[in-house]
Amino acid sequence: MHFTRFSIAAAALTALAACAPPGQSASSEANATGPIKIANVNAQSGQLSSLGQWEHKGVKLAVDEANKAGGINGRQIKLDLFDDQGDPTVGTNLARKIASEGYIAMLGTAESAVTLAMSPILKDAKIPSITSGQSPKLAELKSPFMFLNAPTSVTFDETLAEYLVDDKGYKDIALISNNGAYGAGEHDAFLAALKTRNVTPLADEVVTPDQKDFNANLAKIREQDPEVLFIGAEEVQSGLIAKQARELGVKAVFAGGAPVGTDVYATTAGLENAEGTVVSSPYLSNEASEEIKAFAAKYKAAYNEEARMHVAKAYDGASILIEALKQTCGEGGQKLADAIRGVKRAGLLGNYAYDANGVGIHETKIGLLKDGKVVPEAAS
Amino acid sequence: MQVFLQTLIGGVTFGAVYALVAMGFSIVYRTMGLVNFAHGSVVMIGAYAASTFYMASKLPFAVAVLVAITVTALIGLVIERFLRPLENKDFTLMLIGTIGFGAVLEAGAVLVWGATGHAVPSPVATGPIDLAGVRIPTYSLLVIAVAAAATGLLALFLQRTKRGAAMQAVAMDHQAATAVGIHVGRSNAMAFAIGAGLAALAGSLIGPMLYVNPTMGGTLGIKGFAAAMLGGFGSMPGAIVGGLAFGLLDSFAAGNFQEYSELVTFLVFAVIVMIRPTGIFGETTVNRA
Repeated sequence: MHFTRFSIAAAALTALAACAPPGQSASSEANATGPIKIANVNAQSGQLSSLGQWEHKGVKLAVDEANKAGGINGRQIKLDLFDDQGDPTVGTNLARKIASEGYIAMLGTAESAVTLAMSPILKDAKIPSITSGQSPKLAELKSPFMFLNAPTSVTFDETLAEYLVDDKGYKDIALISNNGAYGAGEHDAFLAALKTRNVTPLADEVVTPDQKDFNANLAKIREQDPEVLFIGAEEVQSGLIAKQARELGVKAVFAGGAPVGTDVYATTAGLENAEGTVVSSPYLSNEASEEIKAFAAKYKAAYNEEARMHVAKAYDGASILIEALKQTCGEGGQKLADAIRGVKRAGLLGNYAYDANGVGIHETKIGLLKDGKVVPEAAS
Repeated sequence: MQVFLQTLIGGVTFGAVYALVAMGFSIVYRTMGLVNFAHGSVVMIGAYAASTFYMASKLPFAVAVLVAITVTALIGLVIERFLRPLENKDFTLMLIGTIGFGAVLEAGAVLVWGATGHAVPSPVATGPIDLAGVRIPTYSLLVIAVAAAATGLLALFLQRTKRGAAMQAVAMDHQAATAVGIHVGRSNAMAFAIGAGLAALAGSLIGPMLYVNPTMGGTLGIKGFAAAMLGGFGSMPGAIVGGLAFGLLDSFAAGNFQEYSELVTFLVFAVIVMIRPTGIFGETTVNRA
């Protein structure tokens, strides 16, 4: 362990030593001048475009700051945005494009399914990427060139189950989740977390990502009268489920990952229906810490809208990449991947320390929705 | 039993909205023989228009819906005006034209309202009605009532007014209709406007039940289209029966087949259409394509 740390530090030092100002050393690298090309791939159109736009704004904020501060060793970062439309097929085409056009790193995407499709191509091209996806499948790829800027569903749901079952003593738990990449990941992770605690769910309803009417599923759940309803779906669908569940008279406490901590969830469900929802997330609110408050203010000044987790994690991811690029003097490939793995950063989402699977954050926090805002739950 | 009845209520509510979308498809199809692929996007514009007026101006919901219907009816007229030079000349281009308009409307919505979308508070404040454990949201009752009223008014218009009769005549035989002095272009324009108005009504009703965003028209359009096919494309009673049937099919499939519900819904749909290609109330008179 110490040895690896040492070797990373040594590698970083050698890299720094090689970072002579341009013109002073007869560098053998031909591409060490001109801007450093980084691709940002995120959905800018289609159903997931709101996620993609937030992610892009977060990335852009970090890159703009770095460029203003002098860039990487005097070289500016050129950030180019590509629209994957939330579609894995478009994603694979973009991955090939990025590889052929000399981008040395990729930030994105916000969709696990798209990132999963792109990853093999980027791995072959030795292009490191930092994704905003959080499906456990991303970590299972074990690609040395892929890094996550958030915990995976396993972490989200382990923390959630610990709070619900161990701390609060709930045993009557029902699940409703969709079978998309995110929902299925949530479902499996939460079910596994329940299993280790010997809790069998009262109901386990699976819906499709496009479904809007949950009367049938929720009526079945209502018959079991659970204490907790775990919702594993994206923001809007989670909100619709919560709303229809309350209309049907389901009294259970709602619980879920990051999507149920958003204003989209709260307004879709209706503030009254969303009240008390248990959220497991590494980024609970814009007021959670001094650093986050400062970041939220900076973000608001730049874009005139409120910051949120997607923005913060994209910012964290881009900052980590920039830090790594400084160590490699803008060089990409294996060297950059190793440098990213070596970055230890106290970020907005927590303390980043990458493991062999590319996961950097290993814990989340619990919050409760009050009046549409997440209030951190005091650690017990 | 409770689960069955609750599923039924969900199915009927969404079915009523699908029926309105299907009627919009059908009225354009029966008059022009054209499938308006922009219809789903017009539903979305209607949802945006109604919810924006409702939330920004604090107008009563009914007024906001009327404003939305007017706005989208105008959009319908614009689409028809653009397509008119192609009428009876190039049918494929007309079809592609409607697809193009759909994309334009979606992109326009992103420009005007942004990509994120917004949730719409329910215009009915009272809680759900509890009937022996089966809960009926009051808003669902409103949706069903408004959809039924709109259907009734449309039937009256088509059967009892001169303009409506003229539209029926164009639907049956546009050459003969021209021969007796009916302005086919005007009939088509009216069909487009009414179709768009129905789309707006469907959109404004579904807004508070869902989340209004630029891509919401996709699924609604496909399901409404499938509902129209199921009932018999071009037939107004068919659209209603098809819409309700599709809503029920969807909601019972969700309860019984979980993640395979969509697969099952469209499989059943495909089988029905294979057995009865003209749908439940298929009319052979509307075959101008």
